[in-house]
Parts: sequence; structure tokens; C-alpha cells
Amino acid sequence: MAEIRYTCKRTAVSTKPVQPGKRLPLSVLDRLMEPKHLRVVYYYGSDGPAREAGERTRTLRETLARTLTSFPKATGRLQRDSEGRWEIDCNDAGVRVMEARARGSVEDWLRNAGREDELRLVHWEEMLDTPYFWSTFYVQMTEFEGGGFAIGLSCIHLLADPTCATLFIKAWADMTLNARPTAPPPSFRALPKRRPSHRNDPDRHNSLINHCKSSINTSSLTPSAKFGTLSLAFTEPIVRSCIAMAQPVDAPDGPGPSPFEALAGLFWACISKVKGEREGLVSMCLGLDVRKLLGLEREFFGNCMVYNNSLHARDNEEDNSLPGAAKAIGEMMAKLDKNGVMDLIEWLEINDDTGPKNTRSLNFSELLFLNLEGIEPDTARFEDTHAPIRVSCFFEPPCKEGQVVILPSTPKDGPMSRVVMVTLPEDELVKLMEHDLVMSLMGLNKNRA
Amino acid sequence: MARSLPDFSNSVKLKYVKLGYQYLVNHIIPLTLVPVMAGVLMEVLRLGPDEILGLWRSLHFDLVQILCSAFLIIFVATVYFMSKPRTIFLVDYACYKPPVTCRVPFSTFMEHSRLNLKDKPKSVEFQMRILERSGLGEETCLPPAIHYIPPTPTMESARGEAELVIFSVMDSLFQKTGLKPKDIDILIVNCSLFSPTPSLSAMVINKYKLRSNIKSFNLSGMGCSAGLISLDLARDILQVHPNSNAVIVSTEIITPNYYQGNERAMLLPNCLFRMGGAAILLSNRRSDRRRAKYRLVHVVRTHKGADDKAYRCVYEEEDKEGKAGISLSKDLMAIAGEALKSNITTIGPLVLPASEQLLFLLTLIGRKIFNPKWKPYIPDFKQAFEHFCIHAGGRAVIDELQKNLQLSAEHVEASRMTLHRFGNTSSSSLWYELGYIEAKGRMRKGNRVWQIAFGSGFKCNSAVWKCNRTIKTPIDGPWADCIDRYPVHIPEVVKL
Repeated sequence: MAEIRYTCKRTAVSTKPVQPGKRLPLSVLDRLMEPKHLRVVYYYGSDGPAREAGERTRTLRETLARTLTSFPKATGRLQRDSEGRWEIDCNDAGVRVMEARARGSVEDWLRNAGREDELRLVHWEEMLDTPYFWSTFYVQMTEFEGGGFAIGLSCIHLLADPTCATLFIKAWADMTLNARPTAPPPSFRALPKRRPSHRNDPDRHNSLINHCKSSINTSSLTPSAKFGTLSLAFTEPIVRSCIAMAQPVDAPDGPGPSPFEALAGLFWACISKVKGEREGLVSMCLGLDVRKLLGLEREFFGNCMVYNNSLHARDNEEDNSLPGAAKAIGEMMAKLDKNGVMDLIEWLEINDDTGPKNTRSLNFSELLFLNLEGIEPDTARFEDTHAPIRVSCFFEPPCKEGQVVILPSTPKDGPMSRVVMVTLPEDELVKLMEHDLVMSLMGLNKNRA
Repeated sequence: MARSLPDFSNSVKLKYVKLGYQYLVNHIIPLTLVPVMAGVLMEVLRLGPDEILGLWRSLHFDLVQILCSAFLIIFVATVYFMSKPRTIFLVDYACYKPPVTCRVPFSTFMEHSRLNLKDKPKSVEFQMRILERSGLGEETCLPPAIHYIPPTPTMESARGEAELVIFSVMDSLFQKTGLKPKDIDILIVNCSLFSPTPSLSAMVINKYKLRSNIKSFNLSGMGCSAGLISLDLARDILQVHPNSNAVIVSTEIITPNYYQGNERAMLLPNCLFRMGGAAILLSNRRSDRRRAKYRLVHVVRTHKGADDKAYRCVYEEEDKEGKAGISLSKDLMAIAGEALKSNITTIGPLVLPASEQLLFLLTLIGRKIFNPKWKPYIPDFKQAFEHFCIHAGGRAVIDELQKNLQLSAEHVEASRMTLHRFGNTSSSSLWYELGYIEAKGRMRKGNRVWQIAFGSGFKCNSAVWKCNRTIKTPIDGPWADCIDRYPVHIPEVVKL
């Protein structure tokens, strides 16, 4: 276990005071994600400019304060509105900041770090009994004595999805590099609404709604098994060979699955085998970002991911091969359309009876696949020409059956390269590593977690 | 309608009567001299040159007498000019602007309070109530060590804060005045609550490599009025040393004094005291006369320490759990009022115009002889001063002084806005207030400023300055980026 020494904990506030009395409501998609929290880690290698101990942290704190001026949602606090639903009171309280120092260099760390180690790079505290005094965002800056640094950001999923978290880090990086934000500021508006004439019959068959209905329950399930996380870096050639393997048998010359479909299909098939499914695949749930679909800008700050599960989408239950899995995933993604999502949102709004006693949230009882291909981690540069060498995203607490997060990798590995983070109970993870399909693809090019 | 009209006309008549009276009494000498001189001139013109010459010859002045008179006149003039105290000029001053990362909004302060005092909700409630009514704004700053959860008020972090504040304010002063470190003749540093060895003045001397024959002083323990005490000391030393300059650094280091217990009377300073500092350059050189901003007219110090209640009203002690803090007693305002009265009694005759002094004297005689029930006449200090800088000790202090001196809202605006923007920065608050008045473009040549400071002991000190040259805006300083937003309306109670 690598050594981390926590230096101090404090609160970072914005540079300009927030106008008092501002309140931001949370959308129905936000409220579905209540029990979950996100942890994101950005690793920056030791090839950047050398700095004195603590100097980089000082600069980063200052630029963090300036970035926070654009994120009143992050510096506010949760409170219940008059109907008992969560909302944010923008009271300018700030975000908690943890500073830490670690031995060795970033590269050494990445070679040896396991799930627990990575999670120690991101501070998180569970909600207090009095949520009004509980920070919803936590930032940790870890300086590695041997070179490099890591930025950890954790936040409650109620306020932000992974795209938002990366948006925040990018804004912070821009402020550090350029002394001013380069991207448009985040927007905190509500989800789009359809005009009443365009609304569909709410009982129309919609797989999203059905999944939601079956998934929402009032108890939160904490996984009892010990989980491990494996981060696998797939360079472009390997992704290409995976795509080739996932090519549907009945259309060998067709366009082929996308990298996400191929990789997700691969892991779906392998994990199903590992979990003991002799024929067919385990049920899985797919999380997709729908900003583009809904016509929302990238800077939309709020939950904008929908989850669809395979039970309602798959036609061919028998096909547990890689091409079959990839095809099924492709079909699920293709079926997703704006109307479907708007139907879901409207259904949620009509049936919205959340309150302190009745938290409705998604119960991820299937294997979860998160598509985070759109996050563009390479653009978050704190120093010139110094892009992150790795980005990790943890969706906590882990889903009962496990989860697979697919992120883009560093561009120098190619535009098709991906990082796959697989979180499974430890015994299943060991079996996965020994699966021939995985081993044949990986060869020497993997990072053991 | 009918009732209001006579009131109005009465008050107008009264106003004119007052103005007439003031003009008469304050200009009595010219008013009597002018007719006399006119009479003499008429007489001279009437007599004609020959008769004047005849008058002159009849006086039988001879050379010895003329020479002796001339020598006498020259001798008296020399004695007068030699014994006149040296004029002290304030060349310029710099105030510390804390970094934005040290900002403490109300919600953050309350949250930290709650996290650090987890099992003392009553203390947290108390602090919240104080903060709501304090008159502070959302941009005041606390030193970095207090931001930690839990705070780390070590000696090292206290030194860190001292270095941060004092060095940046000194750098600012050097830049503003063009002063070279080696030219400083006298250095006085005042910081009440933090007094390490070697002293803070030694720290300054070490950092800027000041001369080995510098006269340095370090005043500690003297409370929020220590800035004016340093001023008095500098003035006295500058009387003895001709052609010298003096640098005064006024600050309060908050880090070591963050009270971590839960005694209510001692929690108050936590809510009000904030990071700040000022450096002032004084000079008695003739060459600085032209560029100096102000001329020091009077410094009046009043000490009520002989009274036990006054002595104990701001008292540093350990609470039942052994945690040290500063305890403020409930009759602080009453004692402050008494100290102020005492100070006014001394300063009044020095600064008030003759009209006010005459009225005061007449009322005093009247009360003593005719009828003790007559209300004591409170002299109108607005006649004597254009600007008032009241130590921003807290909202209550400013309210009390505004009432006692019958000042308008505009007169106390500088104090209230300084309290809002910077909090109670102890001895340096007077300089932030002066900076506010300058930044607003209200300081003109000839304007007189009255700085009043209160401090533990209990002391009330005043300084009177006269503006030497009109100060043009915009000026750089701590108010530069926010002066346009001021004045703000400060509500009685801020909802937290």
C-alpha cells in the first residue's frame, strides 16, 4: 500500500460573494441518483515543470477559488424545499479541500495502486444528519514527492453526473493555465420541457420508463462483498482487433460496432461467463449521456444520464458471444431517442412524490455499463502541454453485480483508445483476468489494479 | 399645516441665528481689527506726511534704541521658532489587502464553527446571532491557519501570518512612497496579541536589512488603540531627531488568539476580529512638506485604567477549561462612552471653534450657578472636523459614538463600510477608513480628520490631522476594486 500523508483540510470559497437568496431546484433525473456519489481522479505525470513542495497546491487553491465563482451550485448546500424535495441553497459556503502528499511518483503509483489506494486520493464524507452543513463537493490535491500530482473530485450524484465533474475540472484547469475561463460558463437551467401538444400518451410502451418503474424502490442496497477495480488501457490496435472480433457474423463487411459497443460487448460476454451464466448473458444496465440528444449544451450542469436495461431490449436471449453482445448494445443505444427520454422525464415528473421519508432512486441491481466517451479528459490541462496521463471514474457505492466504466484514453494512444474500469467482487475479478478472451486481447499491455 | 409652518420658520430662523453667532464669534479678531485699522488709516490720511514725520522725530529714537529693539524682535522670533514643535507630516500610508483565498463568508464561518464545536450547539447558536448583527460583510478575511478544520493556531502559523501581513504592507508602502529601506530612521511595530521573541520589529529589520542604528520599538498588549499610541511615540521621537522619518506598522495577528472554548463572552472576538494591517510613513523633513498627504495637528490620549471596572472590561484570561481568550464585559459600551467624554473634554478646547467653546462655557457656568437641570451642551464637533474615523470595533461602538457626537450617517459611513468590508482589523481600521474617504474622493486640502480609537485598559485616544493636498482618485489600495459598490446598506440583522 502506497503511503499518503494528509496535510490539511479546509474549505475553498469563491472569490466573489454570491447574491443571497438564490436557490437552484434539482431535476427529476437528479433526484433519481440520490444514494450514489462520484469520485473522479485526474493523474498528471512527472514530466511537467518541477515545483517546490506545496507551491503547486497553493496556485491550485487560488485558481480553484476563482473557478468556484462560476459554480454556485457546487458551493451551495442541500436543503428541503416547501414540498420536501431537495434543492440547493446558494449560500456561498464553499467546497471542502483536502491536501495530501504521497511517496513515489505518479507513474509508480499507477503501476501498483489498487481500488482502495485510488479511492484514498479522493476524499469523501457521507451526508451528515444536518445536510445544510455538509459539503456536497470534495476536492483533494495530492502531490507526489517523486513527481506528478493527482486531482481528486468527489460529489454527490444528486448534483452532478460524470460529465459535470469533468466540466468542473476542465474549468479549473483553464483558469490555472490561462488565468481566465476559456469555455462557456456552466448552465444551471432546468431540463427541457416539451410543449403540451407534443406530449405522448404517458402509458405508451417505453423501455426507459419500464426500467425505471422496476428499478425504483425505497431501500438502498449496500453491497456486502469486497470489491476490486481493474483498470485496463486499450490502445488503438487492440481496440481495432476487438472491433474485428465483435463484427456481426451475418454482416462481415458492414461498418462494425463502435469502440464502446465492442468493448462493452466483450466485457458483458466475459463477465457473464465469470458469473456462471452458461448460456445467455447476465442482465445489464446501460448508462448513457443524453445531452446531445436533448439538445442541451455541453455545459449543462446537472444529471443528464439515462439508464436502460437489457431485459427489455434484447431480442436474442441465446447469443452469448461477443458479436451478439455488441449487437445488442448497439441496438439499445440506437433505440434511444429524444421522445423516449422526454417521456421518461414527464413520467417522472407526474409521479414525483419524493420527500424525506420516500426517496425514490434507481436500484442498480444489474451489471452497470457507463458510457463516458464524451468527457474529453485531455482538455483539462493545468500546465502547458501537460495533459492528464490517466483519468479514473468511480461510481460509488458500487452496484451489486458490478460495473464497467468506459472512458477515453490519452490521445497519444490513438483516438480509438479507451480505458475500461471494471469493478467486481474480488473473486470474480480474478476469474475475469484469467478469461482467455481478455488475456488474448490484452497481451502485455495492461495495468493491473 | 399651520402647525408645521411655524416650526419650519422657527428652525430656519434658529439656523440663521446660529450661523450668525458662529460667524461673529469665530471671526471676532478680524471683525474688531478691521474697524480699528480703518480708523488708524483714516487718521494717517488726515494727518498728512509732514505731520507724521514730525511725530516720528518727536519720539527721539536714536540708533542704540533702534538696534536694541531690532535685536529684541529677532531674539523673540528665534526663540519662538526654535521652541515650536516640529511639524510632523504623514507622507503616505498603505493598507493590507488580504488574498481572496482567505475570504470567509458567513455560511463558511458557521459551518466551520459547527464542525469544530460539534458538541456545543449553544455556542454555535450564539456565534451565529453575533454574526447576524455584527455589521460585517461577506468579504472579510481570516488568516490561513484559522481556515483549517480544525484550526491550527501554532506559533509557526502566527509568524507566518505576521510575515504575510507585515511584509506585504511594507512592500506596498515602499512602492507608494519611493522610500528605501536603508533610509528608515525610526521603526515602530504595534501588535497587541502576538509578541514573539525576537520581536516583530526585529523581524522587519531582518527582512529588509535596515540600518544598525535604527531606533526600533515594539508595542504589544496595548489593544486596538495602539496605532495612535505608536503615533504619539513617533511624534515625540521625531521632536528630538531632526530631519528624520518614522515608519509605523499597525496590525493584529489573529492566529494565536482564536478562542477554542465555549465561554460566550470570549467567543465574541472570534466573530469580529479579522486579518488586516497598515504601514504609515511619518516625516519631519521640510523636503517632504510638499508631497505629504496630512499634517499631524494633535494627539490626545486618555487612560481610564485607574477605574477598576474600566480596567477589567476587556480582559484576557483562561476559561474553566484552561483555554485562553479575551473576555468582553457587558458594560463595555458604557465605559467607552465615559472614556470618550474624558477624551472630548481634553480635545474640545484644542479643536473646537471659539463659538462652540463659548457656548459650552456659558452652559457650564449656567449649570453650576443658575440651574443644574440645564442639559449639558454637547459641542458640535462637525464644526471642527470634516471627516471622522471611528475605530470599527463593532456596530455597537459606531452606533454609540454616532449618538454621542450627533453625527450624520455620512460622517460614520467610512467606519461602517470598513467594518463591512474588512471586519474589525483592530489598530489598522482607522487607516482603512481614511483610505475609504480618499477613495471616495472626499478629501480636500485643508480638511480636518479626527481619528478616535478605543482599546483595552480602557483607553480612548484621538488624533487630529489636517489634509495637506487634495487627494485625487482613483487611488490604489485595498478599496480600489470595490469602492464603486460602496456605500452599501447594512441590514440590522442578516438572515443566515
